[in-house]
Amino acid sequence: MTGPDAPAALRATGLGFRYRKRGGWALRDCEFTVPSGRITALVGRNGAGKSTLLHLAGGLLRADSGEIRVLDAAPGTPEARARVAVLTQDKPLYPRFTVADTLRMGEKLNSSWDRAAAERTVREGGIPLTARVGELSPGQRTRVALALALGKRPELLLLDEPMADLDPVARGEIMAALMAEAADRGMSILLSSHVLPELEQTCDWVLLLRNGRIELSEDAYALRESHAMLTGHADQADTLAARHTVVHRRTGGRQLTALVRQHGPLHGDWHVERPKLEDILIGYLQDDDMVRSVAAERTEAAA
Amino acid sequence: MKGSLRNGSLWNGCLWLAWRQQRVLVSVGAAVLVAVAAIAAYSRSGMLDDLGSGLFDHCDAGPIHCTRPDTGVPLLLDIEPLQYLGALNIALPVIIGVFWGAPLLGRDRELGTHRMVLTQGVSRGQWFASRFALAAATTVALSGLLAGVFAWWWRPAADRSYGLFWYETTALSGSGPRAVAAALFGLAAGTLLGLLARRVLEAMALTLLVTGAMMLVLEWTHRMRLLVPPHSYISAGGVPKAPMGEKWSAGHYGLITASGRRDDVMNCPFPSGAQLNECMDRHGYVARFYEANPAGDYWTFQWIDTAVLGGLALLLTALTVLLLRRRV
Repeated sequence: MTGPDAPAALRATGLGFRYRKRGGWALRDCEFTVPSGRITALVGRNGAGKSTLLHLAGGLLRADSGEIRVLDAAPGTPEARARVAVLTQDKPLYPRFTVADTLRMGEKLNSSWDRAAAERTVREGGIPLTARVGELSPGQRTRVALALALGKRPELLLLDEPMADLDPVARGEIMAALMAEAADRGMSILLSSHVLPELEQTCDWVLLLRNGRIELSEDAYALRESHAMLTGHADQADTLAARHTVVHRRTGGRQLTALVRQHGPLHGDWHVERPKLEDILIGYLQDDDMVRSVAAERTEAAA
Repeated sequence: MKGSLRNGSLWNGCLWLAWRQQRVLVSVGAAVLVAVAAIAAYSRSGMLDDLGSGLFDHCDAGPIHCTRPDTGVPLLLDIEPLQYLGALNIALPVIIGVFWGAPLLGRDRELGTHRMVLTQGVSRGQWFASRFALAAATTVALSGLLAGVFAWWWRPAADRSYGLFWYETTALSGSGPRAVAAALFGLAAGTLLGLLARRVLEAMALTLLVTGAMMLVLEWTHRMRLLVPPHSYISAGGVPKAPMGEKWSAGHYGLITASGRRDDVMNCPFPSGAQLNECMDRHGYVARFYEANPAGDYWTFQWIDTAVLGGLALLLTALTVLLLRRRV
C-alpha cells in the first residue's frame, strides 16, 4: 500500500473554492501532493481554509477550479467513499440513536465494515453500547464518531480538529490508537489541529495553509533540518536576508531573533538553535504580508 | 457483478436508516388510520341502521331537506364525524408537509448529520431517494386509505338532502385521488423548504404557510368555478325549470331575450304563472336559465385538482433533486 509506486494520498492541482459565486476565494491555486502512508498535519490560522480543504477532499464540497484527488480517485465517487473516512469538526451524530445503533448504521451504510475495530474504539473509552449518543459527553461523542470512521477501514482518514473536545488523557489514548492503526495498515491520516506540540510527535508531513493558499507541503523532518532559529546582532539582518529566506523576525533593542530557511551554510555571528516543528509552524503562521513587505522595504533602503 | 451486489446492500442500508428515522411517523400514521377506520365502521353501521328504518324513504333527491311527517322537523343523518374525516383529509397535506416533509432533509441539515451519512459508503442520490421514497409511499398509502374510508363511509349518504352532497367542501376536497395528490404536494413542498430553510422550525412555518395557502387557493377556484365552468340550464318561456337536484348551483339565475342577451332574474322576480309570463312578454324574454355544475363534475374537479397538485409535487421534487448537490 505504501512505497514509491503507491498513489498519492492527496493531490491538488490549481484547486480553488469559494462559498459564493461572487464571494472571495476560501482556497485558491492550491497545488500540493501528500504521499500515502503519512500522518499529515494540516495547519493554519482560523479561516485559512483548513475545513474547506477537508470538506473538498471528503467530497462534501465541490471545487470551483482545479481539482483534488484522494488516493487517485475523485472525492465523492463510490470508489473514494469506500476508501476515505471523514470526521468533520462538529462530529455530527444522530442524538437519539444509541451507540450500538450508530455503529450498526456504519455497518449498513458501508460496503466493508470492521465491527471489532469499531466496537473496540468505543469500548476503550468506557462507553456503553446502549447509551444514547445525545447523552454522551462531547469527548465520548468524538470517540463514537471516530469509531464510525475507523470501522470502515479507510485507507485515508481525514480529521478536522479531532481532539478539540478531548481531555489530555483521552487525547493521548486516541492519538496512540490512531498511530497504531496507521502503522498496522498503512493508513494515511490528514488531521487539522491548533495543538501544535501534539503534532510534533505524531506527524511526519506538514501542510500549511495561509489565507487560502498552500504555504508548505513538506516532510516534517526535512522541514526541521532546513530551518534554523538565529539570535544575534541586528546589524546582520540584511546580509542574512540576502542569502536565506527569513520566515519570521523579531527585533528587541539591538538583538534580532529570526526563523530562517537556510540555503547553504550560515555566515556571521549567530547563536543557532534547531527549532522545534512547533516553532517553525508558528513562525510561518505569524508571518503576514505586512511583516514581509516591511522587511523588503528595509532591505531596499539599506541597499 | 460484485459491484452491483455491493450497491444493492448499500440501498438496503439506506432504507434501513430511512426506516429507523421515520418509523415513529409511520406508526403514528398507521395508528391514525386504524382509529379512523374504527370510527368509520361504527358510525357507518349506525347510519345504515337509520336508513334501514324506512324513515328516509319518502325523501326526494334534491337539496331541499325533507321533514318528519308528524313533527315537521328536518330529517338528517348524523354525518358530522364523516365531515370531520373530510376536514382531516383536507388538512393532511399541511400536517404531512410540516411534520414529515420539513424535517426530512431539514433535520439532517440542521444537525449537520448529512455530512456524516454522506461520508459513509452511500451517495447523495441513494440517501435522498431512500428517505423520500419511504415518506412518499407512506403518504400515498395513508392519504389513499383515508380517502378510501371516506368514500366507503360517504356512499350511503352521498348526494342526499339528509346526507352530504358531492360539492360540499369536505366531500369535494376531502376525498378521491385529489386527497392523495394533495398529500404528496404537502410532502414535496415541506421537503424542498427543509432543504432551503436554515432551521427546521423555519421550514415548518414556511411549509404551513405554503401548503395552507395552496389549499385555500384551490378552495377559491372551486367556489369561483374557475377551472370547471358551470353549465347553463335553459327552459323556454314559462316552462318550469329543470329541478336543481344534485347539481351544484353557481348562484346565477336569469332571463334570456330572443337575441340571446342574459339579464338578471330580478327583472322578473316571479316564481311562475301568469305574472311571470306577463313580465317576460313585456321585456321580450323568451327563456329562463340557471348555471350549475352537474354531479358528474365531481370527477372533473377531482382530476383537475389531482393534475395541478400532482404536477406541482413532481416539479418541487425535481427542484429538490437539482438543489441537492448545491445545498447538502
